[in-house]
Amino acid sequence: MLIKRHGFLLGTLLILTLGLGWRLVELTIVDRDFLQYQGNARSVRTIEVPAYRGVITDRNGAPLAISSPVRAAWLNPQVFIANDQQLTRLASLLNQPLEQLKNKIQQGAHKEFMYLARGLPPAVARDIEALKLPGVYFNQEFKRYYPEGEITSHLLGITDIDDMGQEGLELAYDQWLSGEVGKKQVLKDRIGHVIGEVAHVKKPRSGNDLTLSIDRRIQYIAYRELKKAVERHQAVSGSIVILDVVSGEILAMVNQPSFNPNARVELTPDHMRNRSITDLFEPGSVIKAFSVASVLESGQVTPDTMVDTAPGWLILNGQVIQDLQHNGQLSVSDVLRRSSNVGVAKLALELPENHLYQSLRQFGFGETSNTYFPGESRGAVVQPNQKQKLSIATLAFGYGISVTPLQLAQAYAVFARQGKFLPATLVKEGNQKQPEKQVISPQVSETVLAMLESVVDQGSARRAKVPGYRVAGKTGTSRLAGNGGYYQDKHVATFVGIAPVDHPRLVMAVVIHEPKNGSYYGGVVAAPVFSSVMTDALRLLEVSPDNSRTLA
Amino acid sequence: MRASNLHLTRPTSRTLVLYDRWLLMAALILVTLGLLMVASSSMTVAQQYYQQSFYFLIRQSIHLLAGVIATFIVIRIDTQVWQKLSGWLLLIGVALLVLVLIPGIGRTVNGSTRWIGFGPFSLQVSELVKCWTIMYLAGYIARHRLALRCDWISFLKPLMIVGVIALLLLGQPDFGASVVILLTCLGMLFLAGVRLWQYAVVMAMATAGFAMIAISSPYRLARITGFLNPWADQFDSGYQLTQSLIAFGRGGWFGNGLGESVQKLFYLPEAHTDFIFAILTEELGLIGGLGVIVLFAIIIWRGMAIARRALLHEQWTVGYLAYGFTLWLGLQAIINIGVSTGLLPTKGITLPLVSYGGSSLIVTCIVVGLLLRIDYEIRWKILGLGVSRGKL
Repeated sequence: MLIKRHGFLLGTLLILTLGLGWRLVELTIVDRDFLQYQGNARSVRTIEVPAYRGVITDRNGAPLAISSPVRAAWLNPQVFIANDQQLTRLASLLNQPLEQLKNKIQQGAHKEFMYLARGLPPAVARDIEALKLPGVYFNQEFKRYYPEGEITSHLLGITDIDDMGQEGLELAYDQWLSGEVGKKQVLKDRIGHVIGEVAHVKKPRSGNDLTLSIDRRIQYIAYRELKKAVERHQAVSGSIVILDVVSGEILAMVNQPSFNPNARVELTPDHMRNRSITDLFEPGSVIKAFSVASVLESGQVTPDTMVDTAPGWLILNGQVIQDLQHNGQLSVSDVLRRSSNVGVAKLALELPENHLYQSLRQFGFGETSNTYFPGESRGAVVQPNQKQKLSIATLAFGYGISVTPLQLAQAYAVFARQGKFLPATLVKEGNQKQPEKQVISPQVSETVLAMLESVVDQGSARRAKVPGYRVAGKTGTSRLAGNGGYYQDKHVATFVGIAPVDHPRLVMAVVIHEPKNGSYYGGVVAAPVFSSVMTDALRLLEVSPDNSRTLA
Repeated sequence: MRASNLHLTRPTSRTLVLYDRWLLMAALILVTLGLLMVASSSMTVAQQYYQQSFYFLIRQSIHLLAGVIATFIVIRIDTQVWQKLSGWLLLIGVALLVLVLIPGIGRTVNGSTRWIGFGPFSLQVSELVKCWTIMYLAGYIARHRLALRCDWISFLKPLMIVGVIALLLLGQPDFGASVVILLTCLGMLFLAGVRLWQYAVVMAMATAGFAMIAISSPYRLARITGFLNPWADQFDSGYQLTQSLIAFGRGGWFGNGLGESVQKLFYLPEAHTDFIFAILTEELGLIGGLGVIVLFAIIIWRGMAIARRALLHEQWTVGYLAYGFTLWLGLQAIINIGVSTGLLPTKGITLPLVSYGGSSLIVTCIVVGLLLRIDYEIRWKILGLGVSRGKL
């Protein structure tokens, strides 16, 4: 009997183990697909893979804005555990005061997601990771870095923490620069740590690179000299724009005051504006070149036609227009060289209705450029009333018109290009399909250019001279308009010039707002800046000196 | 004189085997596999909660060392020593079971009060009690083996004692241990030759009793009905079981490889204790899982063979002791695997020799040691080398 019972029990137990074996087969083989599906539903998650934002380079390929991989550390307070020692270490790695960190975690205690820090350098992130704190996770991100810092900051603008363009070219070309976020499937443990990759659902597509027309070296020279000048003259602000004559490409565009895009502390619009493109001012005498061109183009006068500017003043509509000195009889050339308000006013008054206004519009005033820069100002040209002679006269010497420094450079480039207008661009080869527009005849253009050279040679802009090169240009000193009229003591000093004259290569506009320290004249404040920047820029570009000058 | 006979009958070239090699090998493989799986399944969790990956591995290694030392000691002690102590041991066991229920003495983990602590160590009382109850019952059956076959009283008396112990275990509550000890004891009594109709009555009553206990408590009922369809409530009462089943599914034929389990990463609670078999199958596949089942089948087969041989040589006490231990190990393994594969209701019960747990590992080592000792004594007996043990 005992043997039977022994057999029965042994049999029962072995049958049970066989049953377990079958059940095991059922789970691991038969039900496998269902169970794996259930398992994946709990542990496989799709996460986004950030795309690489395109690099912005200067015309020679030097990087101006690059995305570097960084990591964001985030916290799930529901899972997070750390002792005091670990918290202290974490705080020091995050560069945050311990108390502040504790408060932050305390405040987020009910949440399941909070950022600890973003844009962490990979090395710091690795150190934090090494603490192996439960509930601390990392995301891959990109942070924008600007190697040239404040020198290019206005131009490039900034991106936000999510790598989206917010200002400047980063905003203008955001779509071009941004890539497409990818997706991948990862295996996560139950508390959210990624433990492995399953598959790439969609590869991230990197953004496109953007090559600017800017020449980093010229940009640097312009910035350095502008900063120096603004400091020396205790000016409020200043801008320099340098254009390539042939292509209309902007080689440099700098402003003061500036900001460091890599360490954004308190950013105010005052520091962030790209004044070269956004800020309007009444330019004053630099407009006279266009007035003279307009007069010559009308065919009513020649450069040698004499204008009587005596007695040095003129009354129009009850307002006095004055020259700085008494000039008497002046040729049209001399009107420009001496910068005679009376002379240019008299010439303009002889023009057919709206002729000056039309000319100025053709030179690009009151129009946007080809830069697509966010916040670009188009400016305005006041259309003069034919009966209001004063408004025609003032327009002729640069009031009643608002311009940007870029527009000035763009318009002066016409004289360097045999009368052809080409809008300015910030992108390399951005003007390849842009037709040139003949604004004035080549002869008139040549004539005005010669006149402008005499301004630098013998006129108000002698300080703009560049050794070894012939330079043409015009100064301007205008008063700032405010509430109820023009300020007596707030000026804008301007110089716009072209070099070298016999084979024009560069056009540069220098605008300095409210110089205070001593003189405020364009010829004194702005012209020397032109000279020093142009000297270096021409040498950098290896522009051959004008033979006539070196021989002389 | 007997010794010289031996020389005449056995070739000298053959070594004397005094231990059951199958049993020893199966136990050794299971213990090794267990240590490996405890390490694999607990490292991530240990890092998370103790900031130390090897927290459980180090502890389990210490337990194993203690278990092996205890086994070496037990193997050298005559089983008669235990027999003489069995009454006292049972009393101490019952006292411990009462003690653990007194608030302030027992340690409570996950709502169950099963441990008595000594400084850094804690003892799971039920493991010792299971062992001592079986020792006592084996002795009782040996003494009353003839009366057991006919009279009710002899049959019911040990059942009363086992019943009290089972109730005390339920008080912790430790439903699993209670079921294991009751089934083991019933199995031993069945093998003792109790009349079948008597046996059937008791079985029916025990089943009814457990059924009532199960139904009386809503949490137990939920657990019991939960296993039938864990997917219906997969994020609450069915959570653990569904995660366990997923582990099996992930395993497939050959598993994901050692250390590659996903379910151990906080998905499956108790991955290194009660549900270690699921993780083992996830990492080592159907082949690994079947291997473990076969190893336990070997233990059952060899344990029962040892018991049978002892009875054939009229070594009643050690025979029933061997039956009891084998049933215990076998039933606990079957129940544990049944639970983690969803065939049985979820119960806190460890896989002998494999799961993490100090008391469980040390006591099961001792039990294997005792089985080997019994086998050893019987072999001596058969060889005629045994010292007279007096009447058993």
